[in-house]
Amino acid sequence: MRRATPFAAIAAVFAVEAAAGAGPVLAFPLYLTIILLTALQLSRTESLATAGLAAIAILIPPLVSANQPSDLATAVLLAVVLIVSAIAITAVVRQVRQKAADAQSRADDIAASEKRMRLMLEAAMVGLALVDGDGRWQQVNDRLAVILGRSRDELPRLTLGDVTAEADRPVLEEALALLRSGDIVRWEAELNQVRADGSRVPVSVAIATAPGRASGESLLLVQETDISARKRLDGIRDCLVAIRHVLVSGLAWEQAVPQLLGGLCTYLDWDLAQFWAADHDRQALRVRHYWHREAAGFEAFREESRETAIPMGFGMLGRVWQSGVVAAVEDLSRVNDYSRSDLARAAGLNSVLAFPVVESGVVIGAIELLAAHVRDVPDYEVTMLSTAGVEIGQFIRRSNTARALRRSEADHRAIFERSPIGIVRINSDGELVESNPAVLSMLEYDFEAMRASAWPDLLRAYDQAAGRQQLAPLLAGLTAGSSVQIRASTAAGKWLWLQLTGTSIPDSNGRPEHVLVMIEDVTTVRETSDQLAEALESQRNANANLERLDHTKTEFLSIVSHEFRTALTGIQGFSELIRDGGLETDEVKAYGGYIFNDADRINRLIGDMLDLDRMESGRMSMRSGDVDINEVLSEAMARASTGVSTVEFDADLDPRLPIVAGDRDRLIQVVSNLVNNAVKYSPDGGRVTLSTRGEGGFALVSVTDTGLGIPPDEIGHVFERFRRVRSGAAQSIPGTGLGLTIVKQIVEMHGGKIWVESAVGHGSAFHFTIPLAAEDASPLQRRHA
Amino acid sequence: MPETANQAGTTAFTVLVADDNDVAQRLCKRVLEKAGYKVIIAVDGLAAVDVALSQRPSMILMDVAMPGIDGLEAMRRIKAEVPTMPIVIASAHSMASDTDRFLAAGADKVLSKPFRLADLVAIVGQFAQAKKSQEKSIDAN
Repeated sequence: MRRATPFAAIAAVFAVEAAAGAGPVLAFPLYLTIILLTALQLSRTESLATAGLAAIAILIPPLVSANQPSDLATAVLLAVVLIVSAIAITAVVRQVRQKAADAQSRADDIAASEKRMRLMLEAAMVGLALVDGDGRWQQVNDRLAVILGRSRDELPRLTLGDVTAEADRPVLEEALALLRSGDIVRWEAELNQVRADGSRVPVSVAIATAPGRASGESLLLVQETDISARKRLDGIRDCLVAIRHVLVSGLAWEQAVPQLLGGLCTYLDWDLAQFWAADHDRQALRVRHYWHREAAGFEAFREESRETAIPMGFGMLGRVWQSGVVAAVEDLSRVNDYSRSDLARAAGLNSVLAFPVVESGVVIGAIELLAAHVRDVPDYEVTMLSTAGVEIGQFIRRSNTARALRRSEADHRAIFERSPIGIVRINSDGELVESNPAVLSMLEYDFEAMRASAWPDLLRAYDQAAGRQQLAPLLAGLTAGSSVQIRASTAAGKWLWLQLTGTSIPDSNGRPEHVLVMIEDVTTVRETSDQLAEALESQRNANANLERLDHTKTEFLSIVSHEFRTALTGIQGFSELIRDGGLETDEVKAYGGYIFNDADRINRLIGDMLDLDRMESGRMSMRSGDVDINEVLSEAMARASTGVSTVEFDADLDPRLPIVAGDRDRLIQVVSNLVNNAVKYSPDGGRVTLSTRGEGGFALVSVTDTGLGIPPDEIGHVFERFRRVRSGAAQSIPGTGLGLTIVKQIVEMHGGKIWVESAVGHGSAFHFTIPLAAEDASPLQRRHA
Repeated sequence: MPETANQAGTTAFTVLVADDNDVAQRLCKRVLEKAGYKVIIAVDGLAAVDVALSQRPSMILMDVAMPGIDGLEAMRRIKAEVPTMPIVIASAHSMASDTDRFLAAGADKVLSKPFRLADLVAIVGQFAQAKKSQEKSIDAN
C-alpha cells in the first residue's frame, strides 16, 4: 500500500494541475517533494519509478496542449531536473540508510556480547568480583558468594578484609594499598577466608586493577578459587609423606608419636590429636599420647581426656575400637554422637574424627583428631587415615620388637660392660674384636695394645695350654665351657693366673663366627689353692709324722714290753721254782744268776729310756772337762774284749790327737754303745776296728765292724728312737732301740756330728766328731805333761 | 742234763721248745722235764722247722722273736707239712692284738710270757691228754 502512495500523490498533483491548468512550474515543487519523501520512505526503485512518473506528468500537459512550444521545453527541462534529483536523492538516502543499518547492527552485537559475558561470569568456576579501593564488594558472581558462604546481598555491606582470616589480613591490606597507589597492577596469593558460619576456606586469590569509572574512582578485579580440595589433597599427601617419614625413621614409638600426631594435625588441618591405647586386659582405652596447637581450652580438654577411660563399644571411640572403622562427626553442634561432645565444644572444638590403629589385625587403639572449625571429612581422608592406622600399628609392633631387642641388647651390653669377669669377643681369625673393661683393667692394657700385642700372646698361651691338654686349639675344636688356666703378664709385668673359658657363637650356617672367651683372674684362687695344697701337704706330713710317731710309740711300747716280759719270764719262772723249793743248791745259785742278769737288763733299759728322755727334754746336765778320747777308746775296747772272745779288736789311734772338751762319762757311753753294737752285729770271727784322728778342730772317731751291715732303706733311720735293724739276721739281736739315739744326742750335745757308712754283708762304720779343747793348749804338751 | 724221762706205760710225749733266749730254754726244759715230758730245744726258727719235721715232736712251744725266720713263719712251714702238729705260741708279745694275730696265724694255743709255771704245765698237759685219748681210740679201732 505504501508503495502505491507516491503514485497516488503524483496522480493527484497531475489531476489538480490539469484541472487548474497550472503550468508545470507550479507542479514541479510538489513532484520534487513527493520524490524526496518517496526516496526517504521507500526503496530506490520505487523512488526512481516515482521520479519517472512525475517527469511524465510534467511533460503530458504541454504535449497535449502543444500550443505553446516554450512550455514544452520548460516541461522537458523540469522533467530532467526531476529525474536527476530523484537519482541524487535516492543515492543520498541509500547511503544514509546504509549507515543507519551499520550502527544498528553494531549495537546489537554489543548487546549480545555483554549478555554472553554476563553468562560466562555467572557460570565461571572461579569467583569473580569487583571491589573498590577499600576492598568493599561492588559486584560479585555467584561462585564467589558460594566460596565465601555468603549471599550476594550481604556482600556489598562487607569488605574483602572482613571475609579474610585474621592472620591473613595484614598482608592483604598491604597488597590493596600497593594496588591503589599503582605500584603494582596485579597481586596473587593464597588466603584463608572466613565464611558466614565461621568456617574457613582456603582460596587462591588474584587481584588486578580494573578500568575506573567516570568518577575516577579505581576498581579492583578480584578472582578467587576455592583451593580447599587441593589443599586437602596436598595435606593428605604431605601427611602420608610425613607419616611414612616418621615410620621409616627408626625412631622409638615414644619419640615418633608426637611427630605423628603433630603431622596429622598440621597437614590435615586438625587442632588436637590424641592416641588412645587399649589396656593390657583390653578393658578400656586410655590416652597415651597427645598433640595440640596452643590454646588454653585444648589443654583443659586434654587433661579431662587423660582422666577418661573408654570401654569397648562406648561412644564414638569405643565403636571405632570395637569395629575398626573410621568414624567422624563433622559438626558437634548438630550431631550428638560423641560422648565428650560438651567437653569438646566447651574447649572450642567442633569437629572430630577417630581412626583405628591396627596391629596384626587387632585394634590396639585409636587416634582421635579434633578441630576447632567445623570441617567436612571427605572420603579420601577416611581412606587415607584407615591406611595410616594400619601402618602406625605395624610401626608400633616394630617399635616394640625393636625396644625389646634394644633392651635385651642393653642388658647384654650391661652384663658385658659391668661384668667383673673379663669377656672378650674374637672373630674366626682369632683377632680380638671387643673387650670389656674388666679385661682391660685386669691386664692393665688399653684396648689397642690389648688387640695388637697382649691378645695374640694370650691366645698362643691358650692354644699351647689347650693343646697340651686336649689337642684343641681355641678356634678349631672348641668345646663349649672347656677352660684352661694360663700364666699371663699384665702391662706392668705382674704375673697372673688366668682361667680362659671359650664359647663359640655360631653364625646362621652353624659355622663358628665369633668366640666369646671369659677371662677370670684366678691368681688368688690359684695361689690360695697352692698354699692350701702346701698346707695340706705339710699337714699330711705332720699327720704322717704323727702317725709315724704314734706307730713308733706303739712299736716302742711293744718292744719295751717285749724286752721287759722276756726278762721277766726268766725272773718270774726261776723265782717261782726257787719259791716252790726242792732244789739243789747249785740250781738255786744258777737260777739266782739268771734272775740277776735279767733284772740288770731291765734296769739298763729303764736307764736308757730315762737318759734319752732327759736329753731330749734338755734336762740332762753336762760336765765339761778335758777328755783324752784315745784313752776312752782303749778302755772301751778292753772292757768289750774281756766278755767276748769271738770278735777281734783293732785300734788305729792317732797318738798326736789333742784332747777334746767334753763329759768323759758320756763319751764313754757313746764309745761303749758303738763298740757293743759292733760286737752284737758281728758274726763270730768278725773284726772291730777303733780309730781316731784330728781333723780341722775336731777329733774324728770311727768304729768299724765287719758285721751284717745296714740295708740301704734303713740306714737313714738308725739314729731314730726304737729304730732297730730288724730285718734278716739282725732281727733277733736284742737291744732297747735307744742306744744309737742316745749316742747321737750326746755327740750333738758336744757340738759334734755322727754318721754311718754301711754295706750289707760287709759291715758298718760309725764316725763321730768331737770338738777339740781350747787351742792354746798343745795336745802333746797336755798329753805328756 | 737227762735227755729223756722214760715213764713206764706211756709213749714219751715230746715237746719241742723253740726259743733263742737261753734263760727261757732252760726254764721250759727244767719245768717240762720235771713234769715228765721229753724236751728238745731249737734256738731259732729254721732250726725249729728242721727239728719239727725230722723228729716229729708231740707238740711245739714256739717263741716268736727269733733270729732267721720268726716263730710264725716257722709255724706256717711246719703246719704246711704237718697240719695236725699242735703248736703253742709262747711270746713276750702279749698284747691282746698279738694273741689274736697268733691264733689267726694258726696257733693252737697262745701262752703269754712271763707265765706261771702251772699254766705252762697245764697247757702241755692238755695236749698230752688229747694225744693219749687219740691213741686210745686208735688202739680201740
